[in-house]
This record gives sequence, C-alpha cells and structure tokens, in this order.
Amino acid sequence: MGLLTKEFERAPCTVEISHKFESLHAHVRFNNGAVIHPGDEVQVHGPEIMAPFGEIVSEDREATIIRASKLEQLWTRLTGDFEVMELCEFSFSEEVTL
Amino acid sequence: MNKHTSDITDAEESLALQQAQSVADSDAATELAMQNTLLTPRFYTTDFDEMDRIDVTPVRAEWDDLIADMVADPNKGHFKKNEDWDHVDWDGMEPELKKEFLDFLISSCTAEFSGCVLYKEMKRRGSNSDITQLFQLMARDEARHAGFINDALREAGVAVNLGFLTQKKKYTYFRPKFIYYATYLSEKIGYARYITIFRHLEANPQHRFHPIFKWFEEWCGDEFRHGEAFALLMKTDPKLTRGFNVFWIKFFLTAVYGTMYVRDHQRPAFHKALGVDPDWYAHEVFTKTSKMTEQIFPITLDIEHPRWQRNLERLQKANVDMAGATGLKKIGAQVRAGMAFVALFTIPVKKHQAPASVRLEPVY
Repeated sequence: MGLLTKEFERAPCTVEISHKFESLHAHVRFNNGAVIHPGDEVQVHGPEIMAPFGEIVSEDREATIIRASKLEQLWTRLTGDFEVMELCEFSFSEEVTL
Repeated sequence: MNKHTSDITDAEESLALQQAQSVADSDAATELAMQNTLLTPRFYTTDFDEMDRIDVTPVRAEWDDLIADMVADPNKGHFKKNEDWDHVDWDGMEPELKKEFLDFLISSCTAEFSGCVLYKEMKRRGSNSDITQLFQLMARDEARHAGFINDALREAGVAVNLGFLTQKKKYTYFRPKFIYYATYLSEKIGYARYITIFRHLEANPQHRFHPIFKWFEEWCGDEFRHGEAFALLMKTDPKLTRGFNVFWIKFFLTAVYGTMYVRDHQRPAFHKALGVDPDWYAHEVFTKTSKMTEQIFPITLDIEHPRWQRNLERLQKANVDMAGATGLKKIGAQVRAGMAFVALFTIPVKKHQAPASVRLEPVY
C-alpha cells in the first residue's frame, strides 16, 4: 500500500439479501478472506440484486476492493469518528423541514 | 452528505432514481406503482482487535444472564401481524401527517437496517466468542424490526430497495469506544422514546392513528437489552467511564439529546396527531434516559438548568434557518447553532457514583 496510491484487487464474494417479513437484511461476504480497512471502497459487479418481497436471494459475485492509500486510511481513522452520530436512531432525516 | 433514503420524499425523484438504476426486479409489475425508496446504510470498520480483547470476566454472571435472556428470544413471536393490526386508511390520512409519518417509518427502518449491518460486520470480523454471539443476537433483532417496519411501509405503497449492495461504497472508521457511547445511548434513548409513546397512547388511545404503536412495548424490550449489553461492555473497562472519557460522555449526551430535540421538531403534524407536545416529549425522554444512564455513566446532564431548554430552542431555530439560507445568512445560522451547542455543553453536570451492579430492569 502506497502513501498516496490506491490499489485495486478483485475478490469473489457472496451477496445475501433477505426481503422477508421476519428479517430485512443484506450482507456481502468475501470468500477469499479479504479484509476491509478504513477508507477502502467496495464495488460489487453485475446488475443490481433485487430480492422480491418474501424471499432471500444469495448470489456469488465478483467485487473490486479499492484499497485506500496510507494517507487516506489515516485520514479516515482520524475523521470517521465525527460521523458517529449517524448511529443514532433518530438522526437519519437530513431535511430540516419535511 | 450522502443522499439518504429519507431524503427521497417525492415520487418523481424516486422514479428518476429508479430509472437511473434500471431496476431489474422480478416483481416489477406490482412494484412499479410503489414509491421506491433505496436504503442506503453506511458501512463501518473499527478496531476489531481491540474488540476481541474485551474480557467479560468481571461481569460474567450478569453477562451470562443477559445473553441467556436474548437467546431465549422473548420477542420471537411478537413481530407478527395479528388481529390487533387494524386497517390503516393511508388514502384518507392528512397529507402532511402522511409525509411526516412515512419519513418516521423510513428513517426508523434505515436505522434498524444500519444497526443490523454494523452488528453483523462486528460479528463476522471478531473472534471473541462472547462478543460475536452478542452482535449476532443484536443483528437478529434489528433485522426483525426492519422487516416489520418494511411491511408497514409496503401497506403504504412504499417499496424498500435493497440494491445498494452493488453500488460502490466506502467504509468509514469509528473507534470502538465511540461505538459504545453512541450505540449505548441510542439504544437506551430508543427504549425511552418507544415506551413514552406507548404509555401515552395507552392512556389516550384516540390518538393511535396507526397500529404499529401497539407493538412498541415489547419492541423497546429489545432496545433495552441491547443497551444493557453495551453497559456491561463498558463496565469491563473502567477507563471508558473515567478521566478524559467523561468529556466524551458529556459530548455524546449533549449531542444525542440535542439531535433528538431538533429532529423531533421537524415533525409537527406527526406529534400533533399523537397528541404529544414535542417539548414535553423531549423532557420526558431525557429524564428517563438520564435515570437509566446512571447505571454506567458517572455524570448526567442538568436538564432542569435554566440554560437547557432555552438553548435547545436556539439550536432548533438556528437549524431551521440554516436549511433555507445561503452565504452569510447560512454562516450566521451555523455560528448561532454552534454557540447554542456550546451553551448546552458548558452547563455544569450532575455527578454521581455508578452502582456496583450494572443491570437494570425496564420499569417505565
């Protein structure tokens, strides 16, 4: 990993989307053990995966991991904390007046 | 700022987004008529090694009790529609109320969903079995809540789009302790918010304009247990609630209370329909939350201080002014918001001794 350069790597992954009444969730799992670090970007290739209501869809796909540069990783570690308020249940509406 | 699902309120924008993403939904025919709302949770990383080093030995007995309770899953059968789910007249709903209530549901669904993504990531990346088990259980609850809200949205003709996974997404970073403070508070304040509405509607059922509120009592039990788990996690490391970290705790308390106050005041029609004065509601929720957080935090905010309410109102006003303004006016509003926050933050705190045993029971 360079100080300023980004690196690209490919990783096989499994995408699971559950659009069921009992559980609404969606996850990406890398099948080669790839680990994501602060500032990295992930792009799953292929068309959008849609699960019709009531179904769980699981697909094997290819993903590109765009590794953050050393500097960007450091920057994300330093500044990411400021966004922590996003974790609060009521803080999602950006509009001040609806 | 990223475009958030809850930003999308008009059908045209949703449609444009839908086309842009060329949705290939197998259920397209039925879904087309629905307003399409793309869920856009954020993705996080943290110091997973640090989380793996957590040792729950000092709180083992309480920890095992709590986990056993979560494994037993008291709410397993709760999130089902039954005869209590009355018919909702979405078409007859006053447009302003409908808009605000949909925003409430969408933002709640996004929040539950994001919680699920965060917890699941921690579960997957960790190797400490106590911690991964906890996060797995919490992810289960959040996904269940999100599914339940999603169903209420479907009834209203709003389809949630989970296509975000194939979009490029960037992972940000939070320090573990910030996750503890923020999620602990978020879960506890979530409990206080749900139970306050539930009790109010129990006493004033004529204001219950949607059946989902009937589910809030058991629902908030999950929030309560999640909060308990974070309290125990913090108890394992006394440094988290000492020294300079007390400053961070004060910061999070002020920021979370302030944010809630501002956001709730954005939904006047929603609160009016519930028959709830948002100022009364905020005070009630802060009082309950403060009482609960005494279980682990060495300080609580002095919400009876004369500067408290006055500056919450200034913060809210500045926030409204900020939205419509540009240039100098916007900067002016930002400065006023900053000053209001500082005025809130500098109110002297109430100090107290944290009890030896952390665990609480939901009593409200």
